[in-house]
Amino acid sequence: MEFIDYYKTLELDKSATKADVKKAYRRLARKYHPDLNPDDESSKKRFQQINEANEVLSDPEKRKKFDEYGKDWQHADQFEQQKQQRGQQRGGAGGFGGGQRQSYSGSFDDDNFSDFFETMFGGGARSRGTGRSPQFKGQDFNAELQLNLTDVYTSHKQTLTVNGKSLRLTIPAGVENGQTIKITGHGGPGAQGGPKGDLFITFKILNNTKFKREKENLHSNVDLDFYTALLGGEITIDTYNGKVKLPIKPETQSGTRVKLKGKGFPKYKMEGEFGDLFITYNITVPTDLSSKEKELYTELQKLRS
Amino acid sequence: MNLEELIATEELCERYSVEHTFIRSLNKSGLIEVVIVEKREYVHCDKMAEFEKLLRLHFNLDINLEGLEAIKHLLDRQNELKEENLALRNRLGLYE
Repeated sequence: MEFIDYYKTLELDKSATKADVKKAYRRLARKYHPDLNPDDESSKKRFQQINEANEVLSDPEKRKKFDEYGKDWQHADQFEQQKQQRGQQRGGAGGFGGGQRQSYSGSFDDDNFSDFFETMFGGGARSRGTGRSPQFKGQDFNAELQLNLTDVYTSHKQTLTVNGKSLRLTIPAGVENGQTIKITGHGGPGAQGGPKGDLFITFKILNNTKFKREKENLHSNVDLDFYTALLGGEITIDTYNGKVKLPIKPETQSGTRVKLKGKGFPKYKMEGEFGDLFITYNITVPTDLSSKEKELYTELQKLRS
Repeated sequence: MNLEELIATEELCERYSVEHTFIRSLNKSGLIEVVIVEKREYVHCDKMAEFEKLLRLHFNLDINLEGLEAIKHLLDRQNELKEENLALRNRLGLYE
């Protein structure tokens, strides 16, 4: 457990007045407030430190205790006990009131105070929950779920563990890489009786197939031999869910793209509907020509020029 | 609109200890949509997260209405760009 210099956190020196603390808190909170820095974990962490420092330095009793023991905080309880025994102490350190509205109570649960704070001031030392404080929704949780592309071809159920709790959810077919879904009421507990926060799950989809995906459409490059491209014919290609035969027009050029309707990926939350599969032909030219082949090709070349 | 999905503004004022004029101002600035059903004012429950965010910014950080408007605009823009960035990154995967 590391000593936290709350003055340093708020960029203040020890002589700072209450007004200085308030001003510093406001200045830093405006910079690092989670509502202004969505999805930024480092800002959130910094804001929690700022909030904790403000909680201590804006409260005269807590500040006094912090100033008094500072780096010797580990022995604070012993000192307090000794004081009490000597009859020099009139009251305990708990039960700090205040009901400061400036403290961030929205997405901020009890676990967000450092061990240092807990040890120095105890669990009941928070200044929230007094008087007619407004109710706030609990902290929103963010989680990332990594899946293979093949996993999201069909809707399926999956059990997740979020903050020690198991949660069974249905992952709809066609969910996209980077897409976030909201699970209402599975976030942190609300403040002053407010509703629970929500759980946001962001999907990271790893493509473990040879197809490239663009939303509900799939793309694939197919090698086409020179003769079939030139004279036409039929080839068998792989689609996501099986093989299909594809007629090839004579004189097909390299880079030609054909669309196979409905052979793509499932459309998100549109059951039974699929995107398309786009095939791009890559014509392969024969190699290691025999002398006879070379002779014939030269003859063909002459015919064209 | 389903009444069950609406929260009366009086209830919000009571729960969050805010003045009714504050909600009206948010509505006037286009920050929160207030719907009127049979002469009673409501906010849709889907807008609660946004409402709470504005409340926190206003009360915790002392940001006035003009500031809230600017912040909302910038956060919306940031969101749009994030989505655009994601779509482009996914598209870029086609050429990698």
